[in-house]
Amino acid sequence: MFIDIDCNQVKKYNQNAYGDYFVSKRYPDEARLIAVLSDGLGSGIKANILSCMTATMLLKFIENGQIPIRKAAEIIMNSLPVCKVRHISYSTFSAIDCDDYGSAKIVEEGNPEFIWIRNNEVMEPEYEIIQSKTFKNRKMRLYKLQLRLGDRLIFCSDGVTQAGLGSGRLKLGLRREGLIVLLEDKLKENPDISSSELSQYLVNQARNIETDRNPKDDISTCVLYFREPRESLIFTGPPYHQQKDAEYAKLFANFRGKKAICGGTTANLISRELNRPIEMDSTISIGKLPSCSYMEGVDLVTEGILTLTKTLEYLESNTTDIDNAAGKLVKFLLDSDCINFMVGAKLNQAHYDPALPIEIEIRKNIIKKMAAILQDKYFKKVSIQYM
Amino acid sequence: MEKKISVKVCLGTTCFVMGSANLQELIEMVPKKYGEKVEVTGVPCLGLCSIDWEFSKAPYVKVDEDVIKEATVEKVLKAIDDKLAAMN
Repeated sequence: MFIDIDCNQVKKYNQNAYGDYFVSKRYPDEARLIAVLSDGLGSGIKANILSCMTATMLLKFIENGQIPIRKAAEIIMNSLPVCKVRHISYSTFSAIDCDDYGSAKIVEEGNPEFIWIRNNEVMEPEYEIIQSKTFKNRKMRLYKLQLRLGDRLIFCSDGVTQAGLGSGRLKLGLRREGLIVLLEDKLKENPDISSSELSQYLVNQARNIETDRNPKDDISTCVLYFREPRESLIFTGPPYHQQKDAEYAKLFANFRGKKAICGGTTANLISRELNRPIEMDSTISIGKLPSCSYMEGVDLVTEGILTLTKTLEYLESNTTDIDNAAGKLVKFLLDSDCINFMVGAKLNQAHYDPALPIEIEIRKNIIKKMAAILQDKYFKKVSIQYM
Repeated sequence: MEKKISVKVCLGTTCFVMGSANLQELIEMVPKKYGEKVEVTGVPCLGLCSIDWEFSKAPYVKVDEDVIKEATVEKVLKAIDDKLAAMN
């Protein structure tokens, strides 16, 4: 299973920093994901520092693997200081440690209970209550869940459940019940909604309930969606041994998922081997890059090195929505969860002619850099096969 | 039906950096000048630079089967004119 995770937030009205803090990290080698959402006491900078410290420390504790999540959360719970003014703890938190096979451990201290949805129904998981040894009024809940394909987990800060508190319509705020109604309606309307869209939707709805749309607390929603991974394949560069062209073209044809070809020679090779004609766009270049071409059964066909170099640049600078071949490739990559590269090792001597006005990168190096950034910054699973 | 002259502009990496991006003009100019008689399209790669690389004659354009090396708009137009003259 692939875990689609995202968090959306809005700040408390008139504040310039978020008082809630979300952090998540994927560990591809262990097929594992850890995420923490923390709500700092008060708002603004002070809350930001408190929640940021709690969340990052908890993540560091858990990821090390030396202490289990239960122990890590207990240490934090027992050591969080008490605010002198309000006599409550400095921050609250929810943390999840889960893997691609669906087993998950969750701890919650002070945050609203998370919502677990399976087949459009809210599940009621069992939990264990762990009492703090140092503070009488502090306890945390520990859950052990086995998740299935299609399950969703929704975590939020109390800014969501208390949205609209004291207003005419919802005297007690949105509350958990109200949030569940919103969720169920949205999921009925759009059963395959991504975590990014769903968390954005919930945050917007919570904000709309607030008087004058001015949130009285920080609002954060984090959604995890366990689903089938969206696979994609990028075929770039001709294979080193030409006699293997047919074999690799067949692998490309048989791949289940989205497909892209990056490279003129490569496109010709696939076209020849699979007997599928190539159609060009009616323009020659868009935005200093050769324009795309089209082939039946292939989602994107672009030129090679120049487009890949530009794509890497866009990925590094977070540039999206550009209407050229590289912009389309960025969208293609970001719309996938598992990205497979098939990289041909054959070099074109002409690319290294000193007479060329610009330096052309070596394909292998660009792909290596691209794979690293897709993994570390965009949390994709990436594999590279050299041909 | 009259046979069309096909003009193929190589949009492979080498040709593109060596100037085929500047041949965009042809896409607009040729239909205006020659109407239906000539068809201009880009192609992903003509595969010529890898054979001819030592001489670095990119960008390449093919007018029917004739290869134009170091192609410019003028050279391509001249090649089309010559073809049309030969046909008449």
